[in-house]
Amino acid sequence: MTQPASRSVGHYQYEERDRTFLQERINEFEGQVRRRLSGELSEEEFKPLRLMNGVYLQLHAYMLRVAIPYGVLDSRQLHRLADIAARYDRNYGHFTTRQNIQFNWIALKDVPTILRELAEVDMHAIQTSGNCIRNVTSDEFAGAAKDELMDPRIHAEIVRQWSTLHPEFTFLPRKFKIAISGSPEDRVAARFHDIGLLARPGENGPLFRLFVGGGLGRTPVVGQELFDSVKEEDLIATLEAVLRVYNAFGRRDNLYKARIKILVQTIGLEAFRKAVEEELARMDRAAYRLTSEHVAQIRARFALPDLKAPADAADVLEQHKKADPVFARWVASNTHPHQDEGHICAVISLKTPGAIPGDVTAEQMHGLADLSERHSFGEVRVTHLQNLVFGHVRKDQLHELWQGLKALGLAAPNVGLISDIVSCPGLDYCNLANARSLPLAQKLGARFGDADLQAEIGALSIHMSGCINACGHHHVGNIGLLGVDKRGAETYQILLGGDAGENAAIGGILGPSFAEDEAVDAVARIVEFYLGQRQKGETFAAMLKRCGLKAFKEVAYETV
Amino acid sequence: MKRLSRPGEGEILLLTASRLLDGRIVWLGEGDHWHESIAEAVRFTYEEAGPALERALAEAEQKEVVAVYEVVARDTRPPEPVTTREAIRAHGPSVHPDFSYDHAPVREKEKVG
Repeated sequence: MTQPASRSVGHYQYEERDRTFLQERINEFEGQVRRRLSGELSEEEFKPLRLMNGVYLQLHAYMLRVAIPYGVLDSRQLHRLADIAARYDRNYGHFTTRQNIQFNWIALKDVPTILRELAEVDMHAIQTSGNCIRNVTSDEFAGAAKDELMDPRIHAEIVRQWSTLHPEFTFLPRKFKIAISGSPEDRVAARFHDIGLLARPGENGPLFRLFVGGGLGRTPVVGQELFDSVKEEDLIATLEAVLRVYNAFGRRDNLYKARIKILVQTIGLEAFRKAVEEELARMDRAAYRLTSEHVAQIRARFALPDLKAPADAADVLEQHKKADPVFARWVASNTHPHQDEGHICAVISLKTPGAIPGDVTAEQMHGLADLSERHSFGEVRVTHLQNLVFGHVRKDQLHELWQGLKALGLAAPNVGLISDIVSCPGLDYCNLANARSLPLAQKLGARFGDADLQAEIGALSIHMSGCINACGHHHVGNIGLLGVDKRGAETYQILLGGDAGENAAIGGILGPSFAEDEAVDAVARIVEFYLGQRQKGETFAAMLKRCGLKAFKEVAYETV
Repeated sequence: MKRLSRPGEGEILLLTASRLLDGRIVWLGEGDHWHESIAEAVRFTYEEAGPALERALAEAEQKEVVAVYEVVARDTRPPEPVTTREAIRAHGPSVHPDFSYDHAPVREKEKVG
């Protein structure tokens, strides 16, 4: 086995057979596109084929969704995405809440060429759509965070390989999403996935807490714990069994009742667990055993960063902070502690107040790729909150990175603060949307954009979706906004109290929906009420619990 | 077949689709040609639209368009779609005036920020 290249870290390094497979797959799709353009295939015949390759027909053009497995990119991949944005899109890429990237202005005739260009840097768009197992998402601080129990990327890669073109699970009742974290702090919304895995080390190897049946969309459900401690060797067998039960019993007659969450809700967790255990008992367990040798083989294809930093790196960072309060503010909101004392994780906000959440230009992508080579071993991570992370930045070089980000217009000091708004593309681009989400996100971002105000408000999340499908995860924001079509007019429902983490909760609907500008004012009144009434150190969620939804409702509807 | 939308007072129906090759929004114009600009769209009454839509659907493959359907618009010059969704399709995303199809001023209610 060849050793992985050392210039990029953080993701699995392809073998030749991976590349051969991608070329074969592109050849196949190229033939399908050719037959569609010649009229040999009808739209009805072609649609499932294009969806399997991440191609949607959206409001203005085709949209291509490119997979970023567990959200990790290397710099050459980001450069290539930038080239694609410039050459085939309108110079933008949009990072999604599934750690993928979407191009909104793609021509069908160009897709095979784009896929070839992606394959040159070991990227593809397979299983980014359709009723299959989608991109496996993971913790943006994986392998770096100080609070981490276990690096989840190795098992994320194993799950990716198991689920890619799985012959039994290519035509599931509905799409299927898996997330995995190795931190006690759930940073992947594990309880809102079809399967959420929380990994931890055990005495005899890794153990996985497995949640099932969570999800957002039309029917938001908090996932339930199916198993507390799945052993590493049983991980794939257990996933296989869960998927088999879902594939056999999930509804196919009603699109809105086809997700696994509906099955678990309908038959109950105990009955579902029994069915999974029966399936496990029937399986040839040896065939599905995940051996430590196999795990080691996968691990060997991940390059590790050489974490060397000067002994005074932390002191230098403190000096930089003292000398530059604007930098100090950015450090306070946009960094996360690293396992290594001389390093730090930097979060790059793609939420410059007033800008479109998750959007980056080709120039910014090129600039970020260059910065990652200088400051983070050529590695860039995409978060499910639509930001980017440099996982391993030397503390003494953080100021230099920040200056580079400022030059790219990407130094907003707002991660985890009110203007760090998560938003779907909404009716401006999406065929399914009922209302626009981006203009409202921009208005809210601008309204709360002042850095002093944001610092005063503290941690507070706003999530925004343009329809009930909830791609903007509105159910789990402290403040959620849902676009609703009310007799042809765009209106916005407000939800309060959502939480995607350990204390998973679905936001409660405040009341009737607001017109766009009224919604901005209502959110402002809610925030003012929080600022005025909170007790020392009280979070928004804690105050909501203390005061109740009704108190917030009275404030929100005060002048309407 | 899905029932046609019924235009109200001062409204007409247009036929729209996406171009197969690039997904670009197009409007059915004179001579059954598909045009990029809504200003070129033929205006149909409710009674005329049904047969026109049937014909457009039957010819969709040959004309290299997909997702053909009718849109209710105000009978102005150029016609203006009644719903926000169709206005965005006709004029481009409201968050990117630089991506506008017609460089027409963005309607007041769609202005951002």
